Amino acid sequence: MSGYFDELSTLLRAGGVPAEQVEATVSDLAAYVAETGADPEEEFGPAGDFAGQLLAARRPEADAADATEWRWTADVFAERQMLARLGDQGWEVDRVDHLGRFVSHRDPERPQRWEYRRELVPPGGAGALVARLAPDGWEPCGTWICFEYFKRPKAASVGPAAQLESPPAAPGRNVFFSRRFYLVLAVLLLALIVPGIILGSSDGDAADFYAGMTVGVCVAVAVLTLMWLWTARRRP
Amino acid sequence: MATDRRASWLKGVLDLLVLASLTEGENYGYEIAKMLAGSGLGQIRGGTLYPVLNRLEEAGLVSAEFRVTERGPGRRYYRLTEQGRQTLAEQGRLWLAFDESVRTVLASGGLK
Repeated sequence: MSGYFDELSTLLRAGGVPAEQVEATVSDLAAYVAETGADPEEEFGPAGDFAGQLLAARRPEADAADATEWRWTADVFAERQMLARLGDQGWEVDRVDHLGRFVSHRDPERPQRWEYRRELVPPGGAGALVARLAPDGWEPCGTWICFEYFKRPKAASVGPAAQLESPPAAPGRNVFFSRRFYLVLAVLLLALIVPGIILGSSDGDAADFYAGMTVGVCVAVAVLTLMWLWTARRRP
Repeated sequence: MATDRRASWLKGVLDLLVLASLTEGENYGYEIAKMLAGSGLGQIRGGTLYPVLNRLEEAGLVSAEFRVTERGPGRRYYRLTEQGRQTLAEQGRLWLAFDESVRTVLASGGLK
């Protein structure tokens, strides 16, 4: 057996191919070049490259996509900005998972910029929305409660300029919460605490305390929900 | 497996299909994808189609023009260039010859 096939055997074994399979493959290849009279390196290319091809062919195709998969999340106030920023860095959202995270990937060979839009969808209204946006190249890429997310390659509007030559590395974190989100949390917390303090300082009993707290929370949630829906509708 | 195989076949010929879809006149991404899907090629996603359109544009086989529409942000219309027409004729013939060879071998294997 030539040095070429020795090297190939070593590389395939190192790549996790069982010994008997390595032997069968290499014997087959050796028989092939013996019959054709070709030089193995000319026929199959350098042993390292060829071993890489053979090993890649053994792996399920899903592995390549999984290797670049990245899940991230942002609050409702920050997510459109983050979608725009990460889309510009070549991240394509595939779906929204059950935890509300954006499951995305970036093409390692030909990364391209993506743009996104988020639409507030009434119950049962997603079909009409998808049909309305499709002619402009928008494809649905996820649903979360009352929101439908759409993606479109930026090439649809800017052509080859949408290709990324050297995309930045993936961000070091995968949670993006805005100041506004923390403010809302703080308001909710206050809504819980303040009625308790007020009622606790009066002569009210425990029932009054819990009633006041419940009313405070309900009012705060209602106000915040209305504000949120209003801003969501107002934005394009 | 069947889907993977179709995707693999399409990868080798999608550029020619896109060029062929433009022989009747200019068109934009969504309509090109719809036309190809209507021909039985399955749904071709934007993430697959636009890199091909970009390559064709960079190679000078199609030209593109962005036009603002009355509603929405506008669309990029693609038109076949003379070079694209020649490439389609040459490469299309090669593909048909390849297709014929595949058919011959499959027929020898008992497939009709």
